[in-house]
Amino acid sequence: MTSSPSGIHHPELAAGRWGELTLAAQLANVGSEVGRMLGWRQRNERLMDRAFERALELLDLTLADPRWRGRLREIARAREMLCDAATGGHEYDTTLEWLDRYFLDFAVAERNRIEQERHGAGSRINGGRGD
Amino acid sequence: MATLIVRDPIPLAELRRLAAGGFGDFVKAVVDVEAKVMAVGGELHADQETMLLEEGSQQHNIWGINIYPDLPAAERLEFDSMINVRPSQGNRSRSVESEVIRHRIETIVSSLVRE
Repeated sequence: MTSSPSGIHHPELAAGRWGELTLAAQLANVGSEVGRMLGWRQRNERLMDRAFERALELLDLTLADPRWRGRLREIARAREMLCDAATGGHEYDTTLEWLDRYFLDFAVAERNRIEQERHGAGSRINGGRGD
Repeated sequence: MATLIVRDPIPLAELRRLAAGGFGDFVKAVVDVEAKVMAVGGELHADQETMLLEEGSQQHNIWGINIYPDLPAAERLEFDSMINVRPSQGNRSRSVESEVIRHRIETIVSSLVRE
């Protein structure tokens, strides 16, 4: 098995695609990686570490997104808690299970937004206000 | 990272190649359980989902997975994608909660990927 050849897991997202997503979609994608960390935790440490790297990369792309200036405190806190959970939760008692549930809410919000859009009902969470 | 729609069987080596050009260990895929096709490659399941919808797939038939080409066949599929979160369809997690649908996905992927 190989790791990402460029050292960046998401080159297209880093090149700008990430900036087209709503905040809810961005955090939902982070949550997918947290879910993978959980899934691999007991079975494959290397794959868990890779998911952790991807989660951090996506959170860093989110923190760098100029649209969220002024709203970065919670995202930065989430990053801190992810690092805590990945290293045993010694600082804040954070667990991956808790983070998984936290990020899942954003996936639900994003899906609801998409379904509303597709049904022509407009969007309650637009412009990345999906928190 | 290239995305392609798989309608006819491809070798597992092709998935390895796609994985090596992207996440390394796995490749993202979205499977249409009715049309029995899948989109593979790319960085977001949402992009593959859009590609299949534009090809005529119905939302309720498509599910996101990850394929780990180097793992044993029994461990190769990971049912985990934010596009699977569909409360209106009774699927409230990123997994595919229906065992019947999971089995259909496994059958389709094994028919589309040659060892």
